[in-house]
Amino acid sequence: MLEGLQMFVEGFIGFMRPKIIFDVLWATQLGIIVGMLPGLTATMGVALMTTLTFKMEASNAVLILVCMYVGAIYGGSRSAILLNIPGTPANAATAVDGYPLAKQGRAGRAIGIATTGSFIGSVIGMLMLAFFTPIIGNFALKIHSPEFTWLAIFGIVICGNLTAPKDPLKGWIAGFAGLFVAMIGMEGMHAHIRFAFGTVALSGGIALLPAMVGAFGFAEIITIMKHPKYEVVKTKIERVIPKFSDIKRYFKTIVRSGVVGTFIGAIPGVGEDIAAWVSYDMAKRSSKEGDKFGTGVVEGLIAAETGNNACVAGAMIPVLSLAIPGSAPAAVLLAAMFIHGIRPGPLIMLEFPEFVFQVVAMVLLASTAMLILGLSMVRTLVKVLLVPREKLMPIVFILCVVGAFAIQQRIFDVGVMVVFGVIGYYMREMDYPVAPLVLGIILGKILDDNLRRALTLSDGSIIPFFTRPICTVLAIITLLTIFSRMKWFQKLTGSVRSGIKAVFKGK
Amino acid sequence: MKESNMPRADFVTSMILIAFGISVLVLSLQMPRFEEHDVNPYSVPGIVPGFLGAVIAFLGVVLLIRSILQKGYRLGISGGTVKDFFSSEVTKRFALTIAISVIYALVLLGRISYPIATGVYIFAFIFIFEYEWKKSFSDQLKKVLMALVISVIFSAAVTGVFRYLFLVNLPG
Repeated sequence: MLEGLQMFVEGFIGFMRPKIIFDVLWATQLGIIVGMLPGLTATMGVALMTTLTFKMEASNAVLILVCMYVGAIYGGSRSAILLNIPGTPANAATAVDGYPLAKQGRAGRAIGIATTGSFIGSVIGMLMLAFFTPIIGNFALKIHSPEFTWLAIFGIVICGNLTAPKDPLKGWIAGFAGLFVAMIGMEGMHAHIRFAFGTVALSGGIALLPAMVGAFGFAEIITIMKHPKYEVVKTKIERVIPKFSDIKRYFKTIVRSGVVGTFIGAIPGVGEDIAAWVSYDMAKRSSKEGDKFGTGVVEGLIAAETGNNACVAGAMIPVLSLAIPGSAPAAVLLAAMFIHGIRPGPLIMLEFPEFVFQVVAMVLLASTAMLILGLSMVRTLVKVLLVPREKLMPIVFILCVVGAFAIQQRIFDVGVMVVFGVIGYYMREMDYPVAPLVLGIILGKILDDNLRRALTLSDGSIIPFFTRPICTVLAIITLLTIFSRMKWFQKLTGSVRSGIKAVFKGK
Repeated sequence: MKESNMPRADFVTSMILIAFGISVLVLSLQMPRFEEHDVNPYSVPGIVPGFLGAVIAFLGVVLLIRSILQKGYRLGISGGTVKDFFSSEVTKRFALTIAISVIYALVLLGRISYPIATGVYIFAFIFIFEYEWKKSFSDQLKKVLMALVISVIFSAAVTGVFRYLFLVNLPG
């Protein structure tokens, strides 16, 4: 523990150089702007930044990406409050109470509270990141091929379940389709080329970044260009600096949302949007003003914003310890780490333990920059929201093209981006979540290598997949996740529960 | 999409998924097994995609059954609905966005110089979505000039920043 603290302090001091502080400030500010603009999400921002920081030193590049990520998730609250349009999907819950507050002429207070909530959320997430990553990392050394196979399947199932709350079947379909996409191209064991149909370009496989930029960026452009115009609330922005009494009064909600947000972030592929909704929902249930939520209640706003920013650090826990992303932007972050030669995963606590604590220090730096920048220049930045979409979207698309092209320099990747954009658009139209698709592309390789390796070691027997202790737990959780959405299972658990209650009540 | 149309969309999608899943399964079964190299039969390339094909087909069947229970097989396609779909403003905007973007990304890029292609794209995009054909050109001169200025500034800025500041290679 003390060793960790020492590495954190060393990492933090290492970043205390003027050039790095300058990088932190501009990257966070750019993140806030990206988050604010509807159409540019955190995923897109981190993906574009990966392209830009391609030639930088590894830790500096990752720092800039973390700043972009933290800034964008926070920045989205600005448009959620002022436009009722969440700048990123993570801020949808913010709009529910943030926008009514702005309409009541309390936009400044709402922005101040959102900023403070986001900061405290980030800090809670950061503490949990520092505490849990080494624990999970050490535990992960016990994870072998059969466990990784289950983790890949569990990741898809839970991600599909939580990102498509109305219709988990569609979440699972999206996830398995993503796993299939990862099968295209040359496989790792015998160098056999699958599903390329003789084309050279496809034999290299579908790269994650172009697919993501398309599914999140281009799909968003198409969706936005169809929507009617939006209007900014015409309100004076008064005092932004939050009152200490607000923070003190809702302290319990803040801590709860921070912890819940971090845990949800750590679930594979389940990102900030779900974290914000769950935190919001829990605040609503436990609050005395629960029935007033949606009419401009400060507690709802603070719960949503604390939850989504806590999720950012939470999403990095599995990235570092298992090389499995906790959210879509974290997936890009993971890809960027690989590009820069850092190999996150079970061995990280043995190979680069100092990197884990450097990431913790990065989150702290980014959150601090976010707090300072978030509480200043509020009125100037609001003008960015006035840019009409007809002028903004072509520029976003140009960035999508550069983001898809730059890393491998193949026009084919631009094509991949366009195709995934159209697929992503239709998926949204038909209520299929995009996050499991992207998670599938990452987990596909893990599933492919580990399932075959495990089967080879067990000589084709599937018994070890159920009898090894961690496998048993993962198998039970996976099955429970699937069954929990089925009516007969809900009825069964309902009757069992009432039966147990009856026994204890002695009726 | 309207909630009431969902079972119909699901009905069609489920058919596609089943066909897709089965094709993946068949292609996976046809993959080489490298018996002549004495390769472990559980490490052959077709195992995982075959498994995924089967799962996708199965999920497709579940979706099909559900959409049939919700009467999704009544597709209700008639000349009128098709005409309405193609003449609606939303479809036009949707098709225009994709068309201009595809022309830029897959036709212009790599063939002509990057800043020119990008400038043309930005101008065309703004012009197409902002210009109102019913009004006279002279009334909208300012709009057109503005589009021109934005396209020049941004294509120059993007090219400059990426190529010279961040040393990223650009297409074309």
